[in-house]
This record gives sequence, structure tokens and C-alpha cells, in this order.
Amino acid sequence: MIFQRYGKFTGGIDLPEEKLATIDEQVSSWHLPDELRVGLAPCGGRVAEPTVTTGQAVGQGDLIARANGEGVDIFAPLAGRVRKITAGHIEFSDITGQAEMPPNQPVCEWQKLSAEELLEQIRKSQLPTFARSPRPVIDWLEEAHRHHCSQLIVNAMEDQPFVTADHRLLVEHGREVIEGVRILAKAAHIGRVILAADQSRTSDYQHLTDPADEYEVHRVALPRRYPIGADNILLSVLTGKEVPCGKTPADIGLAVIGPATCQAVYRWVVCRQRLSGRIVTLAGPHVKRPGNLFVRFGTNCYELAGPAEPPIIIGGPMIGRLASPRSVVGPGTNAVLALDPTPPAVSTQCVRCGWCRDHCPTRLNVAVLNDLYELNHIEPADNLGVLSCLGCGVCSYICPARLPLTERMRQLKRALHALPDRNQAAAEDFARHMRRRGIRKKWQMRKKKRKENR
Amino acid sequence: MDLPTTPPDALLEPGKIPTSITHAPLLRAPEKVRTIFLVTMATACLPLAAGIAFFGWRAAWVAALSITSCAVIERFYFHVTHTPSMLGRSHAYLTGLLLALTLPPFTPWYVVIIAAAFAIIIGKAIFGGVGHFLWQPALVGRFAVAVLMPVLVAPPAVSSLQPDDWPILARGNLVFGDIKNAQHVDRYKGWKIQDQPAKADAFDLPNPARTLARLTNPKDAPAFSALARVRDDISNRKPTALTQLPPLSDMLFGCRPGAIGETCSVVIIIAGMYLIYRNYVKWQLPVSFLVSAALVAAIAPIQLAGPSDTAEWVSMPLLYDGLDVPATLGVGFTYVNYQILSGGMLLAAFFLATEMTSCPVTTGGQVIFGTGCGVLAMLIKLYLDTPIPAFVAVLIMNTFAPSIDAFWLPRVFGQRHFAWLRRKS
Repeated sequence: MIFQRYGKFTGGIDLPEEKLATIDEQVSSWHLPDELRVGLAPCGGRVAEPTVTTGQAVGQGDLIARANGEGVDIFAPLAGRVRKITAGHIEFSDITGQAEMPPNQPVCEWQKLSAEELLEQIRKSQLPTFARSPRPVIDWLEEAHRHHCSQLIVNAMEDQPFVTADHRLLVEHGREVIEGVRILAKAAHIGRVILAADQSRTSDYQHLTDPADEYEVHRVALPRRYPIGADNILLSVLTGKEVPCGKTPADIGLAVIGPATCQAVYRWVVCRQRLSGRIVTLAGPHVKRPGNLFVRFGTNCYELAGPAEPPIIIGGPMIGRLASPRSVVGPGTNAVLALDPTPPAVSTQCVRCGWCRDHCPTRLNVAVLNDLYELNHIEPADNLGVLSCLGCGVCSYICPARLPLTERMRQLKRALHALPDRNQAAAEDFARHMRRRGIRKKWQMRKKKRKENR
Repeated sequence: MDLPTTPPDALLEPGKIPTSITHAPLLRAPEKVRTIFLVTMATACLPLAAGIAFFGWRAAWVAALSITSCAVIERFYFHVTHTPSMLGRSHAYLTGLLLALTLPPFTPWYVVIIAAAFAIIIGKAIFGGVGHFLWQPALVGRFAVAVLMPVLVAPPAVSSLQPDDWPILARGNLVFGDIKNAQHVDRYKGWKIQDQPAKADAFDLPNPARTLARLTNPKDAPAFSALARVRDDISNRKPTALTQLPPLSDMLFGCRPGAIGETCSVVIIIAGMYLIYRNYVKWQLPVSFLVSAALVAAIAPIQLAGPSDTAEWVSMPLLYDGLDVPATLGVGFTYVNYQILSGGMLLAAFFLATEMTSCPVTTGGQVIFGTGCGVLAMLIKLYLDTPIPAFVAVLIMNTFAPSIDAFWLPRVFGQRHFAWLRRKS
């Protein structure tokens, strides 16, 4: 596969790769779980309305919850009996059905469908994007269409250590991904499609050359320097355009999607199959059998990782989070890792070494922002551009004082977002207080006058 | 790439101490602040070793005393104020070592202890310890004793005629000789060619920094010319300053008088390059420091003796044409080299100005800082009669480091160019 070469970005770090354990493991399927716990709000926001009752038997792929104004409808990943319905989840027991990934059996030719028909199909699919923060595919597509995006970029840069899910997807189902991205591009009227992949893995993608040429997908190989897989950084490397603070890539006419979503769209449009599961990398020194598994949504992460000791990490080690005992696989879970427990970070003082600033991909002066956080000065942080922070975790990783800088930056961002509300609430409180004080003063004056009159 | 806002339930149980990091990223780089301090200290031991070689056991004694008293005073301060010392004693050791490097080898023991007390208490502790101080602590200590007790930091008067002479060990007595047992030399030809047999352990030689200071000090009549004109009448020729100085090779390898750590330029440069390799120092700061200092030395006017006993100001000494010294590259260039290599410039550029806490964070800010340091250091060295010009310049620029951080704002990803100028509020 011939890849075009591109540039670099400022900052970033070279992380250890740690992918050898799973990079050549074929995607296998996870056995039928004992129970499922399906989330009702995969895209965040409002929880879907359950349409099933406790004790009801549900077939594989049946509708179990209807979207409540936003988000997507939820379908049963496997057949089973509803055991419990909680505020955000539906729990199933007596699981049966087909756990492995359904085979690729095309039933219609998408090339013959028009863009409107494709859009209608995708609207019916109710698929979420299989990204870190999922959203309905149709929302993403309509946003891209509305902003007249000129380029569609498939982000297959797996820059985090341990994670190989997208790599295996491209190796084993690469053709589906390429057709899927063409379907999306056609539906959104986007002409130019770019597939960005890791430059050290291009030899594994040789078989994609023909379909990529057939569907006019440009291939770009980039060096794996963390965090090039962050959408904003990838776009700036590829196109030279920077996403402004608080804007989305669509605002500068670019659309980004992950390969897993492309495959799901392909399966829905061409094979009429709903992929209610995804490829998950199971890795780390404490996992008994590392590998890449096709896992249905709702499978417990602790069950997946086996008898491993905590901490179990969902997502990559840089931007992932610790799993609670009830965490389940969702559309955004690309890896379940059991790493060595990192000893608790005893933070010392910031010595202003400036490494956070040197390695920050968005060139934020994290040392100064950390001062602002410690002094609780929120407004100046906006002037320093904290809203551009990607949350990639480089500053925390590199900090020799072991300060939780990424967490602090996130809290600064949250505080900044809440600032208008907070200021308004404070102003209202102040007005109320002044009113009451005024009344009290009036009363006091009246009392005085009465006394004087007596 | 927004992270989930709530930490996992398992870690929220009250009273339960998490056994691992609870927030992303769950990997951490191995380097710690303690490592930085200890490695910097090990690197700073190289100039100290050179100092011990040329100044003998008294230099080692000063260094040991300085390090010990810094550690003890910091311990005492923590004990009295009940302040937790989160980084251990590593920074106190480093401060003590850097302080020893800036002191002359013949410093009396009580002066060392007073300097250490100033460094730790005034320089560091009252600001809140490591990471919070404004001035480099070792320089605060050095500056305090230079102001409070200049006589004690000045050399012991061996001969009243040459008050600027500083001792250095003779060739046969390296490391084990006593510098206080010194013998005066009239005309110095370099460390390799000592024509007089050594009667004592050490020689008293003119300190190159002090000799050079007489070129520009307006108070002194020009007793000699730096760059005496060859073509002038022979009877009018004066002994030049450059012949009073040790040869350039001695300036490089450290066999010349000076403070403990400032003499051996080669070792300082090697140690500094190791710090740059370890990323503890950005190369821009020492380079901008030295380049700006060299530029100022090249163009700043100096005072020379004229044909008769008149003083004459010459600007652009780099281009001044009058060769009196065996130098292939021209005497102006040699003069600039002398100015850079003497007076602790290199020590300040590689070890003292680069203290992480007291210099700006951004690379651009560090270039501004380094340029300011270099210009100020050379101007102070030329035109003010100060024994520690480079250190004073670093202290002055440390004062402005927070301001540099405040106004030098590089463009953040996604911002427009010069956003800080366009902002209205």
C-alpha cells in the first residue's frame, strides 16, 4: 500500500508501543456471557425509554428502548430474559443467541442507491458512532452535510499503547471499512476521503490498495507520536487547519470518523446486519489470554478481563478510565486492559520545569494554568486558551512532580463552562441580598422614627 | 476527547485509600523532581572536582561545609515551622553545592555558614520552599556575603601592592596543597611555564576578572593598554592587559585564579551539555546568555592608554587593530574570549540562570531571559566595580522572570495569531 507522507506537530511524546502481544492475534469472539447490562444512554444525554418489561423474553436484535428526543434507539445485543430495569440500564439473564460477529453477506448494492436513500437508511439504522464519546451517526452525518465538509478523514491512528482493535479491523475487514466510508461520504456529499494510518503498520494493509483505489480513498501514513490520534491534531497535521477553541472539526469543513463506525454502517446498509458489538483489545500484563475479541455491548469488563486483579482500565492507558465492577462494554470501548497498578502519585510542588508546556500538543502553558487552578483564578485561564486542551494526558504523564495536571485542566474547563451560569446565579443572589438588606434598613429606619416620635 | 466526569464508584468509598492512580493517564514517565535535583547535583560535581584539583583541599572543605550547613539549616527551618518537606533534602544539597561553586576557595568557615543561611532562609524558605522562590537561592547567599562582608570574601592580603591577586596551587602541589601558603609572582607566563621554582604550595596571581575590570573602570587611570599599538613608538609602549592575563588555554582548562567552580570552562561546558542532553536545561538559555554577552563585549567601549599618559576610549574592541598578543584570530577576538571566560559567566549561564523555578517557562521567554542576563552581566562587568557581575545579572533577571512569563504568550492551538493583542478586555 503506497502511502503519502506528511508532517509532524509540535510537542507530543513517544510512548512505548507495547502492542506485540495482540498485534497479530486474529479477532476471535467472546463466549456467551452469563448476563448483559445494556446501557440506555450510549450517546450521553437523555436516557432512552424502555419498551420491555421485567421478565419478558427478548430476541436478538429486538427493540428494547426507544430514544427519548435525543440519542439512539437501543436494540438487544443478544437474546435473553429481562431481569431488571434500572434508571440507566437494562439487565438480561438466560442469554442465548449468536455471540460471534455475523459473516459479511451482502444483500444489496449500495452503489445503486442515491445519497438521499443512503441517508434515509442510515437514519433508520439508529447506530451510534463507535468513538470515545459516541453520538448518533445520523447527527454526525447531518452536521457534516450542513457545514459542506470537503474532506472526510478516517482516523485509524492507534497512538495509545496496547490498543490494536482498529488495526485488526483494518487487517481483517479492511474492505468493509473502505466501502463503509464511501457510503458515508456519498451520503454527506463529500468528495475527498483520506485514510490515515500508522506508518509502521502499512505493510499489513497491502490488501487494501485495490479497494482503496477502486473507491478513491487516499491513504496517508503518519508517524506514531502521541497524541496524533486526537482528531484536532490529526486534522492539523493533514490539512494545516486548526480547529478553533470550542469548535468542532465540521466548523472548518472537515469530518472525522473511526473505522469501526464505517464497518457498522457498511454492515447495516449492505448486509442489513446490526453490529451490536465491537472489537475490543484485551491486553496488559495481568490478562491471562490477551487478544482481540468481538464483544457484544453490555458484557461486563471484569468478566472479560478474567481473574485479573484491579485496576481494570477501559479505553487506552492514556485517556481511558478505571473500570468499576459494574462497567460494561459500550460503543466507545476499544480496549480493556489490566495493567500493573501504578503506585499512587504523591504530588510534590511544581518546580516549573516547563516539560508540560514543551510536550503539550496544543502549546498550552500548563505550568501557569496549574498556578491559576491552585489559586482558583478561573477567568484568566480562558485568556491562556485552556479550552483548546484535548485532555490527551501528556502533561500528567511527563510531570516530574506527579501533579494530576490533565485532571486539573479538565476541572478548569468545566469551571469555565459553568462560569456564565455561576456569575448569573451570584448576581441574582447579590440582588436578592441587596433587596433584603434594603428592606431591613427601611424597617430599622421606621423603628428609629417611631422611637423618636415617641 | 473528553473524559468522563465522575470517578469510578469503587474508588469513592469513604476512608478507602486508592492503591493506584485514579485518573487518566494511567501511565507515568519515570522521571521525578528528586531525580532532576540529584542528577543536576552530580553534574555540578564536575566543576567542583576541577576546583578541588586546582585549589586543593580547602575547596573540598568549603563545598562540604556549604552542603552540610544548607541541609542542616533547611532541616532546622522545617522543624521550627512544622513545614513538611515533600522533596526531601535533595534541593538543599543542590543549593549548597551551587553556593560552594560560586565562593572563592579561601572563604572562612563562618562566611560559608552565613551564606548558606541566607541562601536557605532568605532565598528559599520564606518564599515557600522548592518551586516557589523568586531568586536562585545559591546566588542570594553569594550576593548577601558579597554585600555584607566583602573584605572576608576578598583574597587574603599577601602583599599590599597587589590587592587583586588570588592564589592558585603550583603544578607540583595539586589537590593536596594549601592555597593560603602562597608566593607572589611578578610576571605570569602561564601555568605550564613557571620560571620561578615553587617555594610555597601556591602562587598569587592577578585574577583575570579583576585585571580586565581595570580596562573600563573610569576610576582607575589606565595603567596599561589592553591593545597597545605595535606601530607606536617603542618608548611609549605600555605593558598590555592581555600579557598580564594567563594564556587562553589556561582560561579554558581552569589553571587560573577564581571562584571554586568558575575556572574550568571546559568542564563546565561538558557538564552543561549533559544537562541539555537530559532536558533539564534548554540549550536556548545558555546560548543566548553567552552570545549576547559576547556581542556586548565586542562593541562596548573600553578605556586604553594613549601614546602618552592619556586615557582614550575605544569603541568596537572586536575590530580594534593592534596586535600585541600571539593570537592568530586577532586580538579583538581574544579580548572577547577573555571577557566571556572570566568572571563566572559560564557557571552562571549553564548552572545558575537555568534553575528551573526562577527562570521563565516558555522557550521564547527563556531566550529573552538569557539575552537580558548576558547583556546585563557584561555591562555590569565592564562598567560597575562588582566582584560578582554575572551572578548579580542573573539575580536581576530572576526578578523579572514572572513578568516575562506573563507577557510572552505563544500562540495556543486553534487561536489566531497575536490573539493576546486583539483581545479587547
